Amino acid sequence: MIASEEIMRGLMVRAQNGDKQAYSVLLEQTGRWLARFFARKIAADAVDDLVQDTLVSLHRKRASYDPSRPFLPWLAAIARYRWVDRLRQTYKHAAQSLDGEFGEKSHEDVVLAKISISRLLDQLPSGQAYAIRLVKIEGLTITEASAKTGQSEPLVKVNIHRGLKRLAALIESV
Amino acid sequence: MKNVTIQQLVDDLEPVQRLHPNRAISAIVIITAVFMLFVVMVLGPREDIMSGRPDPMFLMRSGILLLLGLANAGAVIGMASPAVGRHNNSWQIAVAAASLFPLAAIILAMSAGFTNTLAAAYTGMECLRMSAVGGLAIAIPIILFLRRGAPTSPERAGWLTGIASGGLGAFAYNFHCPFNDLIYTGTWYTIAVGICAVTGRAIVPRLIRW
Repeated sequence: MIASEEIMRGLMVRAQNGDKQAYSVLLEQTGRWLARFFARKIAADAVDDLVQDTLVSLHRKRASYDPSRPFLPWLAAIARYRWVDRLRQTYKHAAQSLDGEFGEKSHEDVVLAKISISRLLDQLPSGQAYAIRLVKIEGLTITEASAKTGQSEPLVKVNIHRGLKRLAALIESV
Repeated sequence: MKNVTIQQLVDDLEPVQRLHPNRAISAIVIITAVFMLFVVMVLGPREDIMSGRPDPMFLMRSGILLLLGLANAGAVIGMASPAVGRHNNSWQIAVAAASLFPLAAIILAMSAGFTNTLAAAYTGMECLRMSAVGGLAIAIPIILFLRRGAPTSPERAGWLTGIASGGLGAFAYNFHCPFNDLIYTGTWYTIAVGICAVTGRAIVPRLIRW
């Protein structure tokens, strides 16, 4: 069970004031929330690293959280930034099955749906989103993605480049 | 998730001073006002201001530049504290409103030409110089605030920083600028703000630390 928005907000406020116990609980809860947030949006073996990157960013940028606003949209903005940043990095890994259910459902599902990464990807033209999913999330090579999509290899590269640029601009908007 | 990382972060925890957007906006307003006073005292004020009968072009130009500068400053300061689902398109409206000046200048120049405007190149260059100097001073609190914050789009933050600081720098210089010509305003002020915007885009993202 992942803590609710209200609980996480309270923990964050206490963490900003230097409460280490509250911070420890917050990071543990946030780590679980992020693992769920990133699930199936990046290769499974990259999720842990991405969660860590995001927690470090949360730590460095904790002064930027405004306690008068909800906590999860702030966290999601940082998580999306880290995700797009990770997609921009060139990396190669074995293609992995990203199917299957992850984690338990909770009362935060509605909130999560509104700030999810899927919602961000949905804003891209289908060609760009497909190319990013295949190459950057599922780990296919450009050649494999080209064969699967019917797009030429240069077009796959262009779609990825333009899609990532657009994702970066959309991080907070939807 | 590696627990050791969480423990390290917890051990490193210190109380932090939260960002205060109002303080940043106040600093921007104060620096703009100080620079405006500097311009008026060193270069001299416009005559129509001193006579208490300001020209309509001066009033319109002042209003648009102030709107442009403050709307962009507010937007970029807001970017320091991100949140999914937050919309702030006030800067786009301000940019659209300000773009009426160069558009009108182009339309008028088609019949009247740029001759007079180019003849005033010396003061036009002064407009660029002073707007840039003022913009640089105004950009400092914005950049410092962004460095503490978490702007998720550093490139956009750079554009907005440049437009905000350039707009407010030009607003301050405008209290000296003796020209009321629309073509002059649409040309030189647009170039001044444009240069600041491009400079902001080029430099600010490099100064933002995640």
